[in-house]
Amino acid sequence: MTSILLNQSRRTFLRRTSQMALAGVAAAPLLSSLDLIRTASAATSTDYKALVCVFLHGGNDYANTIVPYDADNHTLYAMLRNKIAIGRSDLGATVLSPANDLEGRQYALNPALSSLAPQFAAGKMAVLLNVGTLIEPTTRTQYFNQTVQLPPKLFSHNSQQAYVATSNSDAGASGWGGRIGDFVQAYNSNPQLTCISAGQQSVFLSGDTVNPYCIGKTGAVDLLGGSSLLLGSADLHEALLQSMTAGDTNIFGGDYAALTSRSQDMAGTVNAALDSVPASQFPMFSASNAFIDQLRIIARMIAVSSELGAKRQVFFVGLGGWDMHSGLLARHEAMLGTLGGGLSAFQDALEQLGVAQQVTTFTASDFGRTLASNGDGSDHGWGGHQLIMGGAVNGGRIYGTPPKVGINTSDDVGSGRLIPTTSVDQYAATLARWFGVSDSDLPLLLPNLANFDRSTWNLGIV
Amino acid sequence: MSDAQPVEIPDAPSRGAAHAIPAVLALATAACGGGEGSEPAAAPSTPVATPTTSAITAEMRASRFLGHATNGATRADIDLVVDIGIDAWLDAQFLMDRTISHWDWMVASGYSDVSYRGLTSPWDYSIWRQLIEAEDQLRQRVALAMLDIFVVSIADLVKRWPSFQMGFYMDVLLDHAFGNFRDLLSKITRTRAMGDFLTYVGSAKENGTGEMPDENYAREIMQLFTLGLYQLNQDGTYVVDANGAYLSTYSEVDVTQLARVFTGFEVDTSLAAMDIELARADLVIDPTLNETGSATFLGSTVSGGGYAAVEAALDIIFAHPNVPPFFAKAMIRALVTSNPTPAYVARVADVFVDNGAGVRGDIKAVVRSVLTDAEALSDDNLELASFGRVRAPVQRFTNWARSFNASPANDLWQVPTLESRSQHLGQSPGHAPSVFNFFQPDYAPKHSSTSNAGLVAPEFQIADEVTAIVYVNFMLKVVSEGLASGLVGDYSDLEALAADPVALVDEIALRLAAGQLSQETLEAIRSAIASISETAVDYAQTRIKAAMIMVLVSPEYLIQR
Repeated sequence: MTSILLNQSRRTFLRRTSQMALAGVAAAPLLSSLDLIRTASAATSTDYKALVCVFLHGGNDYANTIVPYDADNHTLYAMLRNKIAIGRSDLGATVLSPANDLEGRQYALNPALSSLAPQFAAGKMAVLLNVGTLIEPTTRTQYFNQTVQLPPKLFSHNSQQAYVATSNSDAGASGWGGRIGDFVQAYNSNPQLTCISAGQQSVFLSGDTVNPYCIGKTGAVDLLGGSSLLLGSADLHEALLQSMTAGDTNIFGGDYAALTSRSQDMAGTVNAALDSVPASQFPMFSASNAFIDQLRIIARMIAVSSELGAKRQVFFVGLGGWDMHSGLLARHEAMLGTLGGGLSAFQDALEQLGVAQQVTTFTASDFGRTLASNGDGSDHGWGGHQLIMGGAVNGGRIYGTPPKVGINTSDDVGSGRLIPTTSVDQYAATLARWFGVSDSDLPLLLPNLANFDRSTWNLGIV
Repeated sequence: MSDAQPVEIPDAPSRGAAHAIPAVLALATAACGGGEGSEPAAAPSTPVATPTTSAITAEMRASRFLGHATNGATRADIDLVVDIGIDAWLDAQFLMDRTISHWDWMVASGYSDVSYRGLTSPWDYSIWRQLIEAEDQLRQRVALAMLDIFVVSIADLVKRWPSFQMGFYMDVLLDHAFGNFRDLLSKITRTRAMGDFLTYVGSAKENGTGEMPDENYAREIMQLFTLGLYQLNQDGTYVVDANGAYLSTYSEVDVTQLARVFTGFEVDTSLAAMDIELARADLVIDPTLNETGSATFLGSTVSGGGYAAVEAALDIIFAHPNVPPFFAKAMIRALVTSNPTPAYVARVADVFVDNGAGVRGDIKAVVRSVLTDAEALSDDNLELASFGRVRAPVQRFTNWARSFNASPANDLWQVPTLESRSQHLGQSPGHAPSVFNFFQPDYAPKHSSTSNAGLVAPEFQIADEVTAIVYVNFMLKVVSEGLASGLVGDYSDLEALAADPVALVDEIALRLAAGQLSQETLEAIRSAIASISETAVDYAQTRIKAAMIMVLVSPEYLIQR
């Protein structure tokens, strides 16, 4: 019987607190103004940077996203995948030719991601292999001997989604996108626009102090379409507002009223700015789906970032439907088509806006999946492959360690569930560093990072 | 709480007159100790007397109970509960047969025509119809709560009669809403809908090539339907070890082993692939793909394959000590309050363990226990800041529809899915984005008083800056015009009250919010609608609609207490 190491969380907290004590800052709030100033000093008054997290809800199948292509490994892959394997001859057009040496290993993009092949070739996209949730470096032997600290509830969707987003097992933990926001919100004249979700809210964007903001697919939602009349009456409209935000002694009622007020407070400002960049100016978002809708509004928000006084922003896009226990080949092809089409359109939009160098987009997911087929799909796994895109990306390269293809390899804990060789913390640290979080602040941002050799904190992707 | 203990609604000033009590008078009564009831035995032990709360009348208590037990309180229901009391109302509901199944209604309405074979809309029509119109409201409310636990989403069903797959699945939940939990597990496991949704249809035993059985159902039946991730005490709190750590309920090996049991499932191949009957035929087990060797999980072993092994596996799950508190807490959260006391959970879980006649898993007894517990009925809890739950958007919509006599354009009930978060409710029955449903039971919004107080508020997961305002815009349209597809409220019974803003607002607040709006809010609404002159065209309808939308958007309504 395994148990969740609650004492681990306490240790993490203590470590974090003591690190801050060493740095001469108070324990609460967790990120002091000193930290903010240290990080803020790196910024100039004219710059802008954004991180865009594309979260693939459900656990993306790594093996059919970035497919082993060299003959030996494709053979092993095809044997274990059987009906859900992609034939080698179908991969020729999307073989990746990375600038770095993979010692004979070759990979191809799923053919449905063909729209991303030019981005990779042009050096605007990188691949990171076998990244996942870890507390500390972990080997197969340690895993089976239970001599290593593990993130709680590996293979469980909600638990691992939360761990990827927070890298912390505490109940109520903040997300690392939000914690990055904590560091940079002082840059923004309206701190509430620091962390923005274009879909549902996500813990990823919720910092220790930053409270994320949700925006609709065409902007903020205007109450009654912006009318100042309710049923023809201004008095009624006034009373409606009062009713919506009436103080309530009930805790949930108070929170609901606060949410409504927050939404109302931002809507006018945000929509006035967005009016200057109508959706029609972004013809590259021609496809019609919920992913494109989210990317379009993010591109528009980036376009008006200076009007809104925003210099550092973290965005979140959720894309569901990746939990493919069955029907994987066809469903994955459709989803990857949506993903690839959206990402390349987004990159086009950023280039048109002249901010391609200033925006880095990256994927994340609950977990990778099994390499072995369950007949028609794959089951919950652990490590997986991710994509990083943007003008600042050292692209055209494949980062991380190519996992061994097979069952019962040193990378496998069963059925091709990969033990991550790169942790989410290292991935996050790499992105955060580019974003402007100082090296010395990284362990505050990512408490588990200290468990990894300092030379590996920056993966050099961006 | 024993089943036999009667629960009376304390009497109130005579029905029909209650809504006309002037607020000042009502306040005065409250200040005297809330003792307007003529049956002191059931009066609250602690007087409720805060300046913001009106006197709690029998009608308010009835409406509050109906808010827990139905999809919306009607004037007739309130009168009935006041008349006969909660226990008699529950007895009647428990005895009430279903009027018609989803399946039969869809067939009778012509939705079994081949032109509907790939469509999900007939499901929407049928589910909205039953949630809003069906007489067996308790069953409807309980089964909808169960659909939030035993999630199936029509979005992921094979497009071969998906409405009938989903409708049949809902029929199973409805048919077992007052049945036994163990039977329910057996039944849902055999449905086409669950088999496709959690993908064990087509799962084959390990065949030596490295292919493994599909783990989806094995994992989620334990994590989401019955046990949860961590061991629970009978009162729903977590078991902790000497270091304060939670203990896992099952291991990854348990999942892999249980997955062996759910192999060989197939749709009945004796029927044609497009036959509508496949939407309700039990799944069959193909012996050539079914694991007949042993599977050891949760410390027990089953073997032999076939449905015998499946039933043996379900027996093992059903016997697990987590099931009673897990289900008890989930039902309390769905019906009454998001943060029940451990004692409340334990009382309900005890009923799950033994319904008083030695039967484990009697859902009817659990439902009665949830709804008649002192914690659900206590007047004092109305003032407890941590009590209650955010009404789910679907519930708000059905509340309006039932309380104000909404009816469809015709008998085809073509009310569509309302899941769009940019236009409608952001939620619709049977359209969950995944098996994790629209919201998770332990969700707490960050940076909120809720999380600061260590509380959860699951329904808050779909409340954000977008949906909070879309809801207002959508409901205003619904209140004032009805749905474009034709579900329109009938407010004629309120027109007689329109000249009296106090009576009108009180009646609307009674039906929707069990009269739980603060005096401040009530007075603001009254004075706003009084500004509509009685000489204005359609003044009565305008006052009614204005009062209705103001109640529907008020946090004091949105939080069900």
